[in-house]
Parts: sequence; C-alpha cells; structure tokens
Amino acid sequence: MKQLKRILHVEDVPSIQVVTRIALEKLGGFEVLSCQSGQAALEQVRDFAPDLILLDVMLPNMDGIELVRQLGQLLDLQQTPVVFLTGHLQPERSQELRQLGVRQVLSKPFDPLQLAAQLQQIWEAEHG
Amino acid sequence: MESPQASPAPTPSTTQPRELSRLAALLRYEILDTPEDSAFDDFTQLAAQLCDAPIALISLVDDRRQWFKSRVGLDVSETPREISFCTHTILGEEIFEVEDALQDPRFRDNPLVVDGPQIRFYAGTPLTSPDGYNLGTLCVIDRQPRRLNPEQRAILERLGRQVIRLFEQHLLAHRHAEQAALQQAILDSASSAVLVTRSDGVVTSVNPTAERLLGYSEQALRGHPLTAALFRPEDLQRRAALLTSELQLPIEPGFGVLTAPLHRGRREMSQWRLRHRNGSTVPVLLGVTAIHDEQEQLRGYLVNAYDLAYQEQLQLRLQQIAAQVPGMLFQFHWQADGPSCFPYVSEGVEQVYGLSPAQLASSFAPIVARVHGGDRSALLTSIRRAASELAPWHSEHRVEHPRKGLLWVEARATPLRQVDGSVLWHGFVSDITARKAEQLELDKQQEMNRRLLEALSEAVIACDAEGNLTLFNEKAKQWHGADAEPGSPDEWAARYQLYRADGVTRLQPDEIPLRRALGGEHVVDHEMVLLSGGAPRHVLSNADPLYTSDGRPLGAVAVLHDITERKRIEQLQREFISTVSHELRTPLTSISGALALICSNVTGEVPEQMRELLQIAQQNSLRLSALIDDLLDMDKLHAGKMRFELLEQPLRPQLETALQSNRSYAERHGVQLQLGECPQVQVRVDAMRLQQVLSNLLSNAAKFSPPGEHVELSARLRDGQVRVSVRDRGPGISTDFRERVFQKFAQADSSDSRQQGGTGLGLAISKELMERMGGRIGFESELGHGACFWFELPIADQAKESP
Repeated sequence: MKQLKRILHVEDVPSIQVVTRIALEKLGGFEVLSCQSGQAALEQVRDFAPDLILLDVMLPNMDGIELVRQLGQLLDLQQTPVVFLTGHLQPERSQELRQLGVRQVLSKPFDPLQLAAQLQQIWEAEHG
Repeated sequence: MESPQASPAPTPSTTQPRELSRLAALLRYEILDTPEDSAFDDFTQLAAQLCDAPIALISLVDDRRQWFKSRVGLDVSETPREISFCTHTILGEEIFEVEDALQDPRFRDNPLVVDGPQIRFYAGTPLTSPDGYNLGTLCVIDRQPRRLNPEQRAILERLGRQVIRLFEQHLLAHRHAEQAALQQAILDSASSAVLVTRSDGVVTSVNPTAERLLGYSEQALRGHPLTAALFRPEDLQRRAALLTSELQLPIEPGFGVLTAPLHRGRREMSQWRLRHRNGSTVPVLLGVTAIHDEQEQLRGYLVNAYDLAYQEQLQLRLQQIAAQVPGMLFQFHWQADGPSCFPYVSEGVEQVYGLSPAQLASSFAPIVARVHGGDRSALLTSIRRAASELAPWHSEHRVEHPRKGLLWVEARATPLRQVDGSVLWHGFVSDITARKAEQLELDKQQEMNRRLLEALSEAVIACDAEGNLTLFNEKAKQWHGADAEPGSPDEWAARYQLYRADGVTRLQPDEIPLRRALGGEHVVDHEMVLLSGGAPRHVLSNADPLYTSDGRPLGAVAVLHDITERKRIEQLQREFISTVSHELRTPLTSISGALALICSNVTGEVPEQMRELLQIAQQNSLRLSALIDDLLDMDKLHAGKMRFELLEQPLRPQLETALQSNRSYAERHGVQLQLGECPQVQVRVDAMRLQQVLSNLLSNAAKFSPPGEHVELSARLRDGQVRVSVRDRGPGISTDFRERVFQKFAQADSSDSRQQGGTGLGLAISKELMERMGGRIGFESELGHGACFWFELPIADQAKESP
C-alpha cells in the first residue's frame, strides 16, 4: 500500500501556514509544500506531485473551490485526495465540493495535534 | 138639592188639561195609599154623627178610582171611578146631594146602589186645594132616601175645609221631615266639623266629624257655651284685643270674638287651637255663618271647623326634610310678565343666599341681587328658557353671600306649567363651593397630566373598554403619523402601519400590545416597528389593562419606547464584534496551534521552567478561541446567517458521541459522565449544532459538580416530544439568577466565571440553537440539590425507530 508522504498545503496566512506545516512535518513525518496562493499552488503542483492536497476555502484572488477545479485539469484528483480546512461551510458549497471530488472538510480552527492523524485516517480510508 | 148638572154620569177624561193639573195637585200631597191616620178619622166620625149617617168617607179621586183616606161604616178602601158618586161631586164647587139613588136616572143602575152598600142617599162636599183643584170629597151616605138639613150642609162644608187644611199640614210636615233629614245627612257627612249654636253661643247640634275631631259627643256639648267649652281663654283674650283695636269696638273675650267680624260685614276664616277632650289642642280653620229665619231673625250660628292637623303635619314634615337637605328647597312661582315669588323656601336659603324665607315671600329680586354680576344674566336667561321649554332646569352660578363671601351654588328644578300660564318650579339649590374647588384642582391636575404626557419622550396610547382609541399624546401622533381615530382594533395595524420587529410583516390584530392589554394581558417590552413615519421606527411596547377602583374594565394603555437608535448602536456593536472576532480568530488559531505544538514537545523538549508559563498561555489562548467562536456563532444567529443542516437521525448515537467528546473534560474536573435511559427515537437536527448544545450542557454540569460526583445524561418521551436532560449534583441555581440563565454574558458569579472558565454565551447560544431546530430549552433546580438542564425536540418519525 502506498504511503501518504507528500502534502500540498495552500494557506494564505503565514502564521497558520507555519503552524500547520510544523504539525504535519513533526507529528506526521510528511513532506509538506506550503503555497500562499492558488496561483503558486498551480505553478508548483506538477513538480511536487503531492499524495494529498490540503487547502483553505478562503483564499485571495482565487478561492479554494476554483483552485480545486483548476487543479483537476492538471492531475487526477481521484488519485490525489483533496481535503478542505475551513470554517463552517454553507451546505450548497459542500455539495459543490463533493461533486469536485473533495473527500473531506475539516473544520477550522483545527487541533494541530490531531491534524496529521486525521489526514492519515483519510488517506487510509482512500487506500486501505 | 139637585146638582146644577142633572146630566148622565160624566166620563171624565184624563187627557183634559184641567184634569191633568188636578191629578198633579193630588199627587203633590203625597197622601194616596198612605196608612190610616186618626186625625182624618176624627173628621169622618164627626161628619157621620153630625149628619146622622151610617157611612162617612174622605175620598180622593185619581185617574181610575176613588181611594178612601178615612172611612166610617164601609169596609172597602176604594171603588172604581166610573161608579163613584164623588166623581160627580168634584165637578162642582158645592155640596152634591142625591136624595134617592133609585129615583135618580144617573145612579139607579149603579152597582153601589143595586148591590154592595145599597146606597140610597149621598151628600158630598168637594175637597178643594188652595190653588182651586178638587182633590176628592168628604161625603156621608145612608141606605135610605133622605136629605141634609141646612145646618148639616153647613157642617159638612166646614168639615171639608178642615180636611183640606189637614192635607196642607200633612204635606208641610212631610216637607219638613225631608228637609230635616237632608240637613242631618249633610251635617253628618260633612268632612268639616260643624257645630250649631243658638244666637247666644250655646251649642245645639254637633256633627259626627266634630265629635271625632274634638273627642266630645254631641250630648256632652249640647247646652254648653261654645267658647267656654272648646276655646282657650288666652286665645280668646288675644283675639278680643286684636279685634277691639281693629274694629274700634270693645269686644269681650267670649263668643263675640267669633261673631263680631260677621256683624261688621267681614266673613273671615281664622285659625284657632280648640281644646280636645283628652287635654291636647287641635289646630283648626274656623268659619262662622249666621243662621236667620224667614223673618230675618237671627236664630243662631253655624260654626265650621276645618282640621289643620294633617296640614300642620305636612308642614312639619316638609320642614324636617328641608332641614336635612344641605341647601335650600323651594317652590318658585314664575310669571313672564308679572312678579315672581317663592310660595315656599326652606330655611336653607340663609346658607345659600344669606336671605330669610320671609324676604322672598313676595319677591324674587333679593336673590337676583345676591347672584354674582357676571352670572346674573345667564341665570335669568336659563330660567326663561327652561320656563318656555318646560325642561328640567340646571344652573351653576356664583353667589355673593354676605356672611360667607363668594360661593358656587348649583340649582336644579322642574318647571310645571299652571293653568293661568305661569310656571311653578320645585327644586333645590346647594352650596357646591367645595366641590367646585375640587373640580378646579382636578382640572389643574389633568392639565398637569396632559402636559406631562406631552413632555414624555415615549408615545402613550390609550383606549376605552370598547376598544375606541381615546388618547394619543404628541409623540404617539408624531410616530403614527395620525391622531387617535375611531375604529375597530382590527383596523389599527393597517391605519397606523404596525409591523413586526422584522419590519416587513404587518401585525395581526391579536399581536398588537394595546389590543392584548385590552384582553387583560400584561405586555412587557414587545418589539415592533412603526412604518408610517417613513423610516422604520423600532419601538418596545409595554401595555397594561386599566380597571376602575371597583375592578371593572376601563380600557388599556400602551407606552411605546423608541429603540431605533439603540437598535442602530446594537447593530454597530454587532458588526464591530463580528469584524473584531474574525480578525482575532486567525492570529489566535496560529497562537493556539503554535503553543499546542510547543507544549507537545514536537519541536523538542521544553525546559521545565518554561512549561508552566507555556501551558498558561496555551489554556488562555484556547479560552479566547472559544469566546471568539461563541461570539461568531451569536453573530451568525442574530444575523440569521447560521445555516442548519437538519437531518433525521437517531437520538441515541448523538448522546453517545457527546459523552465521548466531553468525557476527558469532565474527568479533568473529577466528574463521571453517565448515560441513563434513552428511547429509540429519531430527531431532525443539525448534528453539529446538537453536539454544540450537548457539549455546553455537559461541560457546565461537569464544571459545577463537586469532584467525585457524576453527571447523568438521559432522555425520555414526554407529550410527543423527547426531553433530553443533563442532571448534575452541583449547588443548583440561585433564585435571583434563574431569570437570567439564558441571557448573554450571564454568569451566576463573576468570580466564578474566571474560576470555571466559561464565556457566558454558551447557554444563550444553546437556547437559540434549540429554538432554531424547533425545540426548546429549560431547567429545573432546587438550590443545594443540583440542577437539571433539559431540552425538548419533536420526535421526527417513530416508524423509523432504529433497533
């Protein structure tokens, strides 16, 4: 079974970005690429080839949902689970997300001590 | 001697006028068919003896017979007129004599001659009344032929005249007896007491009314001088003195005081007090009439006494009543073109107008003079108008009382039209100065209240018990864009543009606070919106029913307080909190996350000296996050932005999940969480929000339980709902806190909050959440015996019960 290793993380707030990255690296032992914007993520996603994409809905210029739509044109999202990390989503939006192949929505604020384990669980549910 | 008319038996006809008058004259004596009378018998006896005849008769001839008033020697009392000898006699003026009936062609076949008494001889003299009518005869009869000698004829004629005289006396006596009986009847039935005296004043007769009035029988008074028996000497003396000076004639204090004025041509009634047999006196009005006989001789006096006791009693009663009335009673006689006066005024007139009844006996002017100059003409006008309309009269006017100063008086009377066109009023006048003062004071107070109402920054609206709007103060008019107008409460919402707090839904009639208060409700702080003024005006309405002092409904009053500005500030506050919370949230997430990572030694072992401080920082950052989360939730709830994903789901797993996620928190407080009974039911909820509520209740229960205790979570069915309860063994909820439990930032004790680490928003949010999900929340608590918080949800569908 393929191990969860590489995580593409899109988050515009630097402090959150740092905390999230450290939590994933230190507690999950993942390799994390943090991008500050959807644009940066689209530019780097092919080179990085992530196993899982973790992103926020609220992003400057391009929101998370648009980003997922565009990411879907660059790689097979069936193979690469997308997990949103966000505050409470409006129901019609979560419906939209499911249609785009988004596996899971984790609520913000998240518990940094739990995040790695939560992603691991999602991964295992996909590939187990 | 032959009759001058030696013709056959006459056939007298009653139709002849002379005969009719004769019969009338006969009847006038009222003697026909009267009993036998010895006075008449003396004459027949005498006639029989002196004429030496066996039969003598006094015969009266009416239209069909002759009737015998007196008879000697004959048994029948009457015989038919056709066969009567007397019928012949009354046609002449002298003695009619038949010497031998058998020889006389007029009588020889007469049954009285042929049979019966077998008359052969008849001699009769006519009984002629003073006015010339022959009423009958005095006759003598023999059974053998003969004739009267001249002495006998003269005797018979003389006796005949005596008989007529006797008839006259008889008639007179009869008339007298009738008269006397009539007089007696009049006397007896007279309603006034009548005493008859001789000319010297000695009582001769007393009627029954007098007997009753004075207590003396006629017998006791008859023969006694009237004045000595019934009059008080002092009265007689006073009257005598008065008359002496009036008539310029010495009058003795005796019977003369009654008759003297009469003899001077004065017929007068005078008041006296007569002595009653029982020692008391009787008030009477006395009238004296002289009695004269035909010769104008004074025969005596008729003294009439009218009983005044009843009248006196009435007078007394009126006086007593009048004395009880606070004011004056009056009878006022008003004439349009003549003098007006007061036939009666009670003593109270002094209290009201400072006048005595005597001053008003003949004139109305003294009262008019007392009336305040400013009210005088209005008073007279109102009297004239009431007199012409005959309508009940009412007047309030000022009086300048000589003793008491300026008074306000009220007069009421009912005018009655008299036959002569004048108007008689009965009424009363009372002093209302005190009441008037109260009225003025009341007016002043009402004016004060009115000004107060206008000065208020609140709108005040009132209606009567029938729902008619009676009061809009200035603010109410301004805010509603209209004044109080008549109309049913059902029209209020449309007319005054009343809306719910949302500003778009028109109020239903039964939502209007004033209308609810009219139904007896006590309405507190009902929020609504007035749209009539253009921009929406948010108001809080308080309304209460009004009652009279004896508890009858009087109407309702509503007070509206403008909270538009407050709402705007609240909105600003909310927006501010919302913005700040959002802005705080991201940095706080970073801080908490970073601290969590450090404290968990992910970035390397934290030195012991730093650990405690880092933990404090971490805990407080978590608390801040929780507060921010709650604030944001509250904001979303207020703004209606919170979305609920209501899904039908079994209740029990939700309770289990809640227990799981709160167990560690409870254990930190040394408290065990237990799941009690739970029916297998479905509820339609947003699971995340339900968890939020359960978390709130469970963490509160754990926080307030003493260590070592346990908290029980359970559910049971109740009236088609399921009630989920969280029961703790804590101190319970104090009475003064109970009302505020579900309010924002409400905490039982501020020192407690720091110690217990709550945000003060949890229960307020829980309440909102439950209500949005169609449920309700509440609690039961007894101080010292723990608290039980519960919420109830409708059961979604019992058919889908999970096993």
